[in-house]
Amino acid sequence: MTKVRYLLSEAYDNIKANRTTTVTAVVTTAFTMLGMGVFLLLYLNIQSVLSSLHEEIKVIVYFRDSATLSAMAELRAKLREDPTVSGVEFVSREQALASFRSRFPSEERLLNGLGENPFPASLVLKIGPRFRTSQAVADLVSRLQALPEIEEVLYNRDLMENLAAGLRYLRLLGLLVGGVLAVSMVTILANSIRLTLYARRDDIEILRLIGATPEFIKTPFLLEGAFLGGIGAACSLLLLRAVFGFAETKMALHGSFWGLGTGLSFLPLRLMGGMVILGVTLGFLGSMVSLGHIRDVRR
Amino acid sequence: MIELYHVSKRYQGRPALQDVTLKIEKGEFVYLSGASGAGKTTLLRMIFRAERPDEGHILVNNRNLTELKESAVPYLRRSMGIIFQDFRLLPRKTVFENVAVTLKVVGLSEGLLRRKVFEALRLVGLDDVPKVLPPALSAGEQQRICLARAIVNDPLILLADEPTSSLDAVLSAEILNLLKAVNLRGTTVVVATHNPNLLGRLNRRMIMLQHGRVMDSQAAQA
Repeated sequence: MTKVRYLLSEAYDNIKANRTTTVTAVVTTAFTMLGMGVFLLLYLNIQSVLSSLHEEIKVIVYFRDSATLSAMAELRAKLREDPTVSGVEFVSREQALASFRSRFPSEERLLNGLGENPFPASLVLKIGPRFRTSQAVADLVSRLQALPEIEEVLYNRDLMENLAAGLRYLRLLGLLVGGVLAVSMVTILANSIRLTLYARRDDIEILRLIGATPEFIKTPFLLEGAFLGGIGAACSLLLLRAVFGFAETKMALHGSFWGLGTGLSFLPLRLMGGMVILGVTLGFLGSMVSLGHIRDVRR
Repeated sequence: MIELYHVSKRYQGRPALQDVTLKIEKGEFVYLSGASGAGKTTLLRMIFRAERPDEGHILVNNRNLTELKESAVPYLRRSMGIIFQDFRLLPRKTVFENVAVTLKVVGLSEGLLRRKVFEALRLVGLDDVPKVLPPALSAGEQQRICLARAIVNDPLILLADEPTSSLDAVLSAEILNLLKAVNLRGTTVVVATHNPNLLGRLNRRMIMLQHGRVMDSQAAQA
């Protein structure tokens, strides 16, 4: 207990004694993590918009004219049980014709020339959230196309693939930007801890001579790094909330995000906690990097 | 307690110690004497494993230091107390904290720690200034803090490197008396000094070094 209290008080003393370094480290960490936070916020909101576009994806299954009503009902029931499908709507030939007439009244003369109703009966399928991938939809489509009562299956393949590619690139960009910012943060904190180590090199030498283990010497610096990282992350969240508030009110983005989705949303609590943990971890890593370079501490 | 067998050490080709063989018994008080650069500090640094010999073996309390793992060095040092001529105190810590740090390293309980620190401070006559910062004290007092820090953990060996070089004759005598008192408690004391006044004060064995070699090892005279 004496040892733990000593190590904590040493970390606190380091922070107190090197106020300028501490403030500089916290401010630079906060701004670096603010960059990460802004990107995360954009990523989440863009992802939410893209997900809302995914909901628009529908698969239309057209029956052959020869398909019987019982075969249609049977397929409809089967698809209702299918986990890939979250909604099935049956559109009879008559309903399709009525819909065409109401949507395109000026094209009535086209139908008059044909005589009989040219529209096939169809099923309009909504895809379940877990299956909104091009592969899952393609599998469903090929299964349906193989059925004898089906004439054609249509869906917006390009939109699906573009959305998937967009999300993939966004994730990749997120990893890249996050990685670069994480390395910057580790470097910033490593340099800050290095300054503290330099200021305390005589104390470290004394501790070594009285029989302190490297772990005993290193722990206060590791705690200091973790603390600086955590505080920096917490400050970045406060800054991010302020930036978000400004964007929400001043840029009139209420209600929707560029006319899409359900409006901007801030980071969920879980992610905010994650960012603070990330700050603590990166601060700890920064200290480890610094301590690894100090010969006096290693011996 | 301390045994050196054919120990040699060079720094950038220059010999610091040459074929040194000597033995210091448990509970002994020994002076290491010689001019500046004779090898006194190097020899002490070898005993607390701040340096490794290029040749030869060193045994401390039957542990071969040349084969000692790096991870075991802190534990070796906990069995020793070390005093330096430049004190090496923690300037931002109080007198009490400077002494207590030795016990905090070993994780002693708070109550026992306080008792032992005050015991050591009482022995060196500084128990009335526990909350003072070292820079506010005189050189003699700072050296006494250093001594209290070295003995608070009841070390088997006390190594003192020119402990009186920055002190006047009166303060030097004071420190020497304290070292003698520590020795009477059973601690082996090795004092490196080139101060002739100090050497004449106590009738103890003196190991004379010159150019890194043991020139003479005089026994205490009856």
